[in-house]
This record gives sequence, C-alpha cells and structure tokens, in this order.
Amino acid sequence: MSIFQLHVNGRLHTVDIDGNMPLLWALRDILGLKGTKFGCGVAQCGACTVHLDGRAVRSCSVDVGVACLSKITTIEGLSPDGSHPCQKAWVELGVPQCGFCQPGQIMSAAALLTATNGANPTDEQIDNAMRGNICRCGTYPRIREAIHKAAGGAKS
Amino acid sequence: MSKVTRRKFLRDAGIGAGALVWGCYIGPKGLFAREHLPEIIHTGVPLGKNNYFVAIVPIEGTIVITTHRAEMGQGIRSSLAAVLADELEADWSRVRLRQANADSDKYAIEFPYEVKEELPFPYNMVHRSKPPQYLIPVEGSQFTDSSRSMTAYFKPMRLFGAGVRAAFEQAAARVFNVDPSQCHASQHKVHAGGQSIDYGDPRLLFHAGKLPPAKYEDIEAALKDPKDWVFITAAKKPMPFADVSDMVTGKPIYGADQDLPGMLTAMIERCPVANGRITSFDPAPALAVPGVRKVMRVLPANVPPGGVGQRFLPHDGIAVIAENTWAALQGRRALRPTIVCDYPDDLARENAKYDSQVFRQTLKDSTAAKGMLVRKTKADLSDADFADSANVVEAEYYVPHLAQAPMEPPVAIALYRNETMEAWAPTQNPELAQQDIGRVLYGLTWDHDLDEEEIQQIRKTVTLHMPLLGGGFGRKSKPDYILEAAFLAKQNPGVPIRVQWTREDDIKFSYYNAASSQYLKAAVDGKKTTALLQRSAFTSFFGTLFPESRAKERAALFNGGIYPYGSAIERAQGLEDMPFDVPKLLIENCPAKNYIRVGWMRSVANIYHAFASGSFADELAEKKGADPKDHLLDLIGNGRIIPLPEEAVPEFNNNGLPVKIINLPVAGGKILPMVPGYPPDTRHLLAVVKKVAEVSDWNNKVKQYKGTRRGLGIAAHRSFLSYVATVIDVSLSEANELTINDVYTVVDCGLAVNPDRVKAQMEGAVVYGLSLALLGEITVKNGAVEQNNFDDYPVLRIHQTPRNISVTIMEVDKETPPTGIGEVGVPTVAPALANAIVAAGGPRIREIPFYKKVVVL
Ligand code: FES
Ligand code: FES
Repeated sequence: MSIFQLHVNGRLHTVDIDGNMPLLWALRDILGLKGTKFGCGVAQCGACTVHLDGRAVRSCSVDVGVACLSKITTIEGLSPDGSHPCQKAWVELGVPQCGFCQPGQIMSAAALLTATNGANPTDEQIDNAMRGNICRCGTYPRIREAIHKAAGGAKS
Repeated sequence: MSKVTRRKFLRDAGIGAGALVWGCYIGPKGLFAREHLPEIIHTGVPLGKNNYFVAIVPIEGTIVITTHRAEMGQGIRSSLAAVLADELEADWSRVRLRQANADSDKYAIEFPYEVKEELPFPYNMVHRSKPPQYLIPVEGSQFTDSSRSMTAYFKPMRLFGAGVRAAFEQAAARVFNVDPSQCHASQHKVHAGGQSIDYGDPRLLFHAGKLPPAKYEDIEAALKDPKDWVFITAAKKPMPFADVSDMVTGKPIYGADQDLPGMLTAMIERCPVANGRITSFDPAPALAVPGVRKVMRVLPANVPPGGVGQRFLPHDGIAVIAENTWAALQGRRALRPTIVCDYPDDLARENAKYDSQVFRQTLKDSTAAKGMLVRKTKADLSDADFADSANVVEAEYYVPHLAQAPMEPPVAIALYRNETMEAWAPTQNPELAQQDIGRVLYGLTWDHDLDEEEIQQIRKTVTLHMPLLGGGFGRKSKPDYILEAAFLAKQNPGVPIRVQWTREDDIKFSYYNAASSQYLKAAVDGKKTTALLQRSAFTSFFGTLFPESRAKERAALFNGGIYPYGSAIERAQGLEDMPFDVPKLLIENCPAKNYIRVGWMRSVANIYHAFASGSFADELAEKKGADPKDHLLDLIGNGRIIPLPEEAVPEFNNNGLPVKIINLPVAGGKILPMVPGYPPDTRHLLAVVKKVAEVSDWNNKVKQYKGTRRGLGIAAHRSFLSYVATVIDVSLSEANELTINDVYTVVDCGLAVNPDRVKAQMEGAVVYGLSLALLGEITVKNGAVEQNNFDDYPVLRIHQTPRNISVTIMEVDKETPPTGIGEVGVPTVAPALANAIVAAGGPRIREIPFYKKVVVL
C-alpha cells in the first residue's frame, strides 16, 4: 500500500492503495466513479477507456502508479452537463443500445476529435481510432455517423 | 414540485403516499379490468395480484409508468412506456419510469388456451387476411427472451393507457358537470368546451378515484384510432428514448455499479469441466493477499455441481471474497494453482473427455443415419428419388458452439439477512432467478418442482431488483451467476456479496449455442427441385436443463423430443417450418448428446437451420444455373400457409404460440374458431425477398458484377413470427481478402411500434450475425473451453463493419400486431454472406467461422 494522488476530472484525490492496482479498479471501487466499465481486463474491448492528459487509454491496463503522473478524465468529467459534441451527437442519433460500451466509445471518439483538432475525420481515421472499442450490440454504423456529426461535418 | 412531494417522490420512485395508483390487471379467465386502488394512497399496503402500471402524483401531475421487462439494449423500457403514454395522452416530459422488481404475480399474463366462458380476452387480431383468421394472444411475463416484449405487451399497454384516459374524461365530466361525451383528453389535460383541467388537478383525481372498475369492453372501445397515435409508429413525434442522456454521461446503474455499504467482492475459480468437482484447494496463498477476507466453497454439500442435466446451477467453484475487485482478482490468481478437480461419476468423466473437434465428426455421423421424423409431405420420399446421381445435390453444414459474450460480463449482488434475500442482478429471467434464489434461501434442492406454497413464500422473502443489462443475448436468461451470489450471501449473513465475472469466466462458463451438423440432399429436374431431405443434429439445451432421469416427463410437458433429440422449441426454429415448397420433403432430427452446458444465443437454432437452408438454396441455384434470387422465390413457391398439421407436425411451437385451433367466444355470444399466433405464411417471406431485391438493386448489380471479384448473396428466413430477407454485397481481393461493401436487410415485423429501435436492432443483428459467421467459434478440449477473452474469441470491430447497413421495414396495416425484432435479423446473415462469397468467385463455405476459408482483415 502506498499513498497516491490522482487528478481526476479536475479534482485531486488522495488514496492509499497498491500501486499495481489498475486505474479501472481505483476509479470504480475506490473513487466510486462507475461510468468507466469493465469489459475484458486485458486492453481488448475499450469499455474502460479514459483520458490521460487528453489521450485515450485503457484504464484496465494502466497502473495507478503510472496514472497518477497524468491528468485523468473519465466519462463523468468529459463535460459538466453532457454537452460535449460527441455526447450531443450520440443522443441525437440514438447511438446506444444497451449503453454499456458507450462511455468507452465516447472517450475514444472525443480523443480522436481532439487529435484532429475538431476537423471531420475520415472513415479510415475513425476505424483506426475506434477499432479498440468493441460494441457487442453492434452500434458501429451509428458511432461512425455520430463522430462525423460531432465534428460538424457530413459523412466523409 | 413542492419539497414534500419531491421527497416522497424520490423516496419511492413516485409510488409512495400521495400518488393515485391505477391497477390495470387481467384477472382469472381473461377478465380485464381497470381499478383505482385507493388503499395505496393511505396505507401503502402491497397491491397483491394487481398490476400497477400507472401512478399519478397529485398537483404536480407526474405520471409514473412501471416498466417490467428487462432492458438490455432493445429500448423496451421506453417503447412500452411510450405506448402507454400515447394512449393516456400524457405529456412525455411529465412522465417518469419506474423499473419493477421481479414479480410474476403482478406482471405475468397467461392466455387461457381453453377458453370456455364468454369472457373477452385481449388479443391482437391479425388483419393480414380478411376476414382475420389469426390472432396473437396477449400472453407474457417478465422473462425477456424470444423477442416477445412488444408482441405480448403492446395491447395491454395500450389498454392501460386508454383505460386511465377514459377515467380522466369521466372524472372531468363530473368536475365540469357536463356529459362525458363532451370531454376529450389531450396532452395531460382534459378539455370540455372552453375549459380544461390538468391530470394532476386534485379535483380530477378525487372524482377519478371514485369511479367503479371499468369493463374490458369499455376500455377497448376507448382505444385510440391509429390515426391519432403520437409516439406509436413514431406517427407524429419520435419515440422517446428515456435512458439515452444518462447512457452518454456514464450515469446508469448496471449490475456491477450498485454500491451497498459493507459490500464485498467475490471472484470465483471454477472447475472447468461440466459436473466436475473441486476436491481440494489451499486457501492460504489467497488469504495472504492484502484485502482478501475469506476463501470458501460456493456450493453447499447437498447441491450437485452445475453441468449437464443440472439446470442453471453454477459449476463447482471456490470464491475469494475481498474488499475490492483488484484484491479479489489477485487472491484468485494465488488460489488457482492449488485447486484440484475430480470427476466423481460417469457423467463427469465423459464430460472430461469431451473434444469438440471429435464431436464434430460424431454429429456428422449422426446425420448419416435415419433420424426422428420431424416433417414429411404426403408423398413419401425414398432412395429412388435420388437414384439419378447426376441430378442430386448434397451438402453438409457445420456450426460450432458459440458464446453470447454480452459486453457486460455476468455480475450479481446478494444480501442475506433476517431470513430474507435481496438481490441486484442484470437478468433476462427475473422470475426464475427469484425462485432459484428462494431455493438457496430455504435450502431446497433442484430435484423437485416448487409447489405453489413454496413459490408464494419465496415471493414474500426474496426481492430481486432489475438494473439495466449491459447486453444479454440469451446469456442472462440463465441465473447461474446470481445463484453464486446467493450461495455466498447465505454463508455471510448481513454482508452484501457481489460476484463479479471476468471476461474469461464469461467465455469459459457460458451456456453455449449448440454445435450443429446439417445434411441436405435434393433431387433436381431441370429448374425444379423434386425431392428434399434434411437431417439436423444439434445438442439440445434440454440435455443441459434436465437430467436424463427426467427427460421423458419433461419432454411430455414441453412437447419436446426425448433426450438426446431436440426440443419442440428448437425444432420450430427453421426446421419444422423450413419454407421451401417441394413435392417430396422429409425432415429428420438426429440425436446428439450434451457434454458441456448448452443454452441459447440470440436467434438460437435459427442460426444453424437458416445457414443450412439458405446456403443450400444457393447451391441448388448454382446446379440449375439459375439466378439465386429468382431461384429462391421459385423454391419458396407460390406462397402458402405451410400445412404443418398435414405434414406430420401436429403442434408447431411457433415461438410459444402453438398453431392449433381454439374456439374463442366473442361479443354477441358467438364462437370464432381462431389460431392463436399466426402460422408460417410464405407469402410474407416472398414479399421480403422481392423487397430486398428491389432495395439492393439486385438485377442490375448481378449483371454489373458478372465476371468480377464482386458479388451478391441472398437469404431469407422467418423467426419469432417475423420475416427477414438479406442481401450482402462483397468483394474479394486476389488474395481472398474479404470486404463487405453493403448489407441490405428487410424485415416484416408486423407493426413497427418504435421504428428507430427496430432499425437499431436490425443493424445490431447484422453486426452480431457477421461476428458469428466470420469469427465465431468455441472449441472444447478435455471438457474445458479453450478460448479466453476477445483476443481468441473475437467479435466484429468497427473496421470490419460494412460502411452501409441498410434496413427496410415493410409497411403493414396499422391493425397488424407487432412481432419479434430482437433476434430476427441474425439468421439470414451467415447464409447471405456465404452465398455472396461464392458469387464473388470465392469458395463455397459450409462451416462457421468463415475466416478459415477467406481472409478477414
Ligand atoms: S476492460 Fe479495459 S479494454 Fe476491456
Ligand atoms: S451498446 Fe451495448 S455493447 Fe455497445
């Protein structure tokens, strides 16, 4: 056990935990932030995606000891009121089905739009940025459309 | 909202003191009533047998609608509530949803198949033929399975809404002292002349509360004319999607998200072999992990380990119970090497030898011999029909075991205290889960059926909350993971125990879709198919559910085949109702045993039956040199109600709505002979095939692609009372790398109550179908599943998803009842894709997964 300071969604949390604990479990079990989901535990599904300094990472595969060096953003902190362009586009197009993968999808998509500086990504760019996020309900067609929409563009 | 009301509202999701509650129920022998339930206002006593779907909070006028089905991505919570709100003329912004707990006393509706008394019963008339010949009875429970939510509850929800609206209109008449015919409700108000009164107005509620129970006929008469629908069919406004804003901000509570004070997390290391036992383990290494509190057996000594013939009992396992998930995971890792499994009886020993590659041959051998008769034409088929080998086509198709792999791995919380059990679990099957938890609570074993008294006792002492499901696909119809939580809770009184499965657990301990081998043989004469033999071998889930000792009794009860033959449910999924119209037809079911737990996955036996019939139709077209689409239409024939009773199928299961004639008493004391549920009618199948040919521009594209490495494939199938046809457009590179360009799918699901969610289900079903066709395979060696996670049990990802998935919903008369949607889009995908690959110059693929024959990038 050691003391770590985690910067999550603009707040500083001091926790006394095993430094090898994956960030996912620290977020869910220690900080009570349940929006980040567990889907595979081995960086295969993307359900646990959060941002470290704006980059999308799989929180199941980043130790707390590493994550404490960065600013962490989870789905709860992406926007104060669900107004991130991705969140808005997701609602408008009715993307979610069961919804379980969607926090991870949205975090990956938001990081993509940051990387393109808000420019409308190509379908190839979307495929590359989003292929780590599984949606077993099969909402991929709407995810693609929503990303284009969030970027303010029509389908490329 | 006043502070007091708000507090009460929040405290009890709107159904505390201070709400006017309407019980809308269907009583014994089909009597339907609407009754105001005054007792709840004053005392909050339980409502007993009455469904209470609607409550209204006075003054603020919030309408609380109970949603009772499992929500797992189909959008049913919103859809059913919106149907009720539409008929009630409620303003959706003033509607709240309340998720019900498991309670079949309140939410189950049984159709009295033996209708003797002259009581009307809610049913949906099928206006597909005039005069109507068929009806879909209103029948259902909370068991969210078989794509039946909308089929079963569309009419009741309409009745509930219309019944309460009619009450408000009558009450307003008293308030305004006018004739009820002058009162008209719209948008949360009743209007009469120039006056209007809000639904929350205490004067209105006072008079509404004094009305006598309404009669069924009156409520039915109050139903809206379809032209006045608002949300239903998205006629005037889009159907609401209540959970979507929460879903994009991470707010909804799924099974794993429930936090309870003092809760501990359990991870379970299980015996990998069905019916196997863990004979020894050493708790010490796990207990040495910081945060680990306990290491214990899950199953009590008198409960046999799960596996073949043991219903939904979990595999034998040792739990590591810890303060948090990470500690539990590490403790489990430390425990694993100390576990020793053994196989105490012949059954387990045989299971421990199970090798799915060897079994594939066993299945194939099974179809080499005559099986149990499933269906035959009057004209007998014999060897002589296949004498001319130059005009015979035969083929075998194989589908391996498949795992549902919902995005949310199984998880459940249970708390045992004061002789009661409370559980929170994502489940499709709340009633069974509740009863099985009750068995744990009372130490009842699974070798007898619960009697009514036991069931009633369990309803009183077991509370099961239903959070949202992160996907289900049939996996969460089986409550084994919930039982694990209950068994552990029982041993840890007062402590909430959360059992969290890993993805590896989910892949290795599923109830797998059956492995199946199909043999088809046909005689062709020019462009005609003159004789067709189909033999289907698959491991029936009946073998998993019931031990051989009870197979006979169970088969009688469920009209099933006696183990190791298939059940009536599986036979009715594309085998008995195989749609091709050939002069001589013989269909047989060949035996296959269970060695692992077999269950069902989205669309179940339709997967392998549609893959075989859909591929074989294409092989016949190839043989005849015919266009596959024209040939498919030809093979289906002129269109007919498949004459099952005349072809040795006395009782077709028909998604639980058996095709048999009942005498239904109707208004005026008359008797109307009716068939509940409507039988397979290939005219609808022909219609979707024609439609998909049109939307995919089949005729032109076939010409255009001729001689290139691009091609179209087609397949059609009926399942869960709906009809689907699919065309897939693919390209193959010289290196046989597959690109899926477009998927066109057309569905006739009766009335599309929520067209956007129908579309979403069909899109998702295409992705699910592509996943299983291209990548799906569970293999077993020495009784243990070989796959682990999404790396070796891959599912479709976004870059593998076609850029264009087009969904077309067939237009139907507004009186047509809704039929299934959740599963119906899956079966056609694999055969349409296999056929497209052939059309693009690729190999004929007769086995799943396809990635073994073409390159999937
Ligand atoms: S849970 Fe982290 S990628 Fe799946
Ligand atoms: S919405 Fe269910 S897994 Fe993506």
